[in-house]
Amino acid sequence: MRKQNYSFYFLCFLMLTIFAACQKSDYTIPSGVSGLSNDCIKRTLGPNIVSLPIEFAYAMAIPKIQGKLVSAQVEASIAGATGTYLEYRSFYTNTSGQDVPVTVGTPSVTDGKITKMSFTVDTIAATLRYFYIIPEEARGKTVSFTFSATSSDGKTVSYVMGPYTISKMDIKKNLAVSNANAQFISIADMAVYTSATGTAAKTDLVYLYRAAPTSFVHALVAPAADTVYLPGVTLLSGVKNNTKVSKVFNLQDRNLAALQYGIYVDDIDFIGVSLLDAPNYALGLKAEAGVWVETADRKYKAYIFVNSVNAAGSAVISMLRYTN
Amino acid sequence: MSKYFKIVIAVVCITSLLTACKKNDLPIDEDGLLITTRRECYVSNFELLGTDYITVRNGSAVIDTNAQTINVTVLFGTDLKNVYPQFSLATDCKLDPKIVGRVDFSDLANPKTYTVISGDRNIRKPYKVIIKF
Repeated sequence: MRKQNYSFYFLCFLMLTIFAACQKSDYTIPSGVSGLSNDCIKRTLGPNIVSLPIEFAYAMAIPKIQGKLVSAQVEASIAGATGTYLEYRSFYTNTSGQDVPVTVGTPSVTDGKITKMSFTVDTIAATLRYFYIIPEEARGKTVSFTFSATSSDGKTVSYVMGPYTISKMDIKKNLAVSNANAQFISIADMAVYTSATGTAAKTDLVYLYRAAPTSFVHALVAPAADTVYLPGVTLLSGVKNNTKVSKVFNLQDRNLAALQYGIYVDDIDFIGVSLLDAPNYALGLKAEAGVWVETADRKYKAYIFVNSVNAAGSAVISMLRYTN
Repeated sequence: MSKYFKIVIAVVCITSLLTACKKNDLPIDEDGLLITTRRECYVSNFELLGTDYITVRNGSAVIDTNAQTINVTVLFGTDLKNVYPQFSLATDCKLDPKIVGRVDFSDLANPKTYTVISGDRNIRKPYKVIIKF
């Protein structure tokens, strides 16, 4: 009796296993492109800052038997700034790892919101780069793009990208500052002045370098700071702005630093940072250091990145500015 | 044979029940930290960081376990209103008050005091943090 029970249970288990086993699915060959088709990707990362480009790669193709590519165009919802173009060359990478261009069409023409190029060689597939230079008019708004391609058989395809939000920030890169020379920094102008060209009202920060004490070295100091932090500095006569400054490290914004780090400072970072109880000086700066800045009138916030320093008493800085 | 087999199974089951894992009701404090039997209560190391998370100390902090003081010399230009203190404590100790962000050490005339509490929560030692430029 016991042996029969064991056989019965085993048989049940076996049957359940058979029914629940994996079923082999038949492989089907994927169908190819049947006509003119396109695709698009956005290549640039980070915030969309006025004067910087947004780059796209637009791919289009048609089966050879149906014809060839005739033209491609991009229509932006806000006309791009000068320098906006659609690449007329196709690139391949040679054995040395270099990208080699092959001309496939005429240089693009931008008329208002539309940038267009025409193919001059028989091409059935191409990927063209589109560079949209963000105009001032787009600040704080959103921008969309419609990519289109036409073929010799009269077909047209299009691909819509966006909308993308344009940042409120401004960017200024590679400003040279030096001790007792180009040392008066204006956040409003995003510029550096000397004692001959600057004004007190526009001076938000003073750059100085002092070898002693060793913790001083490169510094950014507000004109209203204690004179102990401005040794030997002759300020411009007039109002002394009490700019707030807060030191940061390891914030190598990609747009400012152009280093291997994939970090970006965006509008939301300026909204979130509070400098109410920050000091009005920052000492001991070095390469890849940064400072959050807020002007005395609280109109602007800025992030200043130190690209490089020189022990002789100079530095190169880059800045992102946000208007409150 | 089957009778002896059943007896063996029964003995094994009873033994398992008697020696099964017992849930230890370990005491924890109001912060969810384990209360142990350790009575050591001291600061082993002290660090002070600026807003850029880089040390603002000029040399090592001098910790006097008897006097219960921590003497720190900071770099010229340190903004003492916005610094992050970091205490290293003896095993199982905790600190009161808790450090949740930036601390203002700018009042040099009135040094801040932090209390170290031992692992058994019975010993409390206040440490005064004295900062100089």
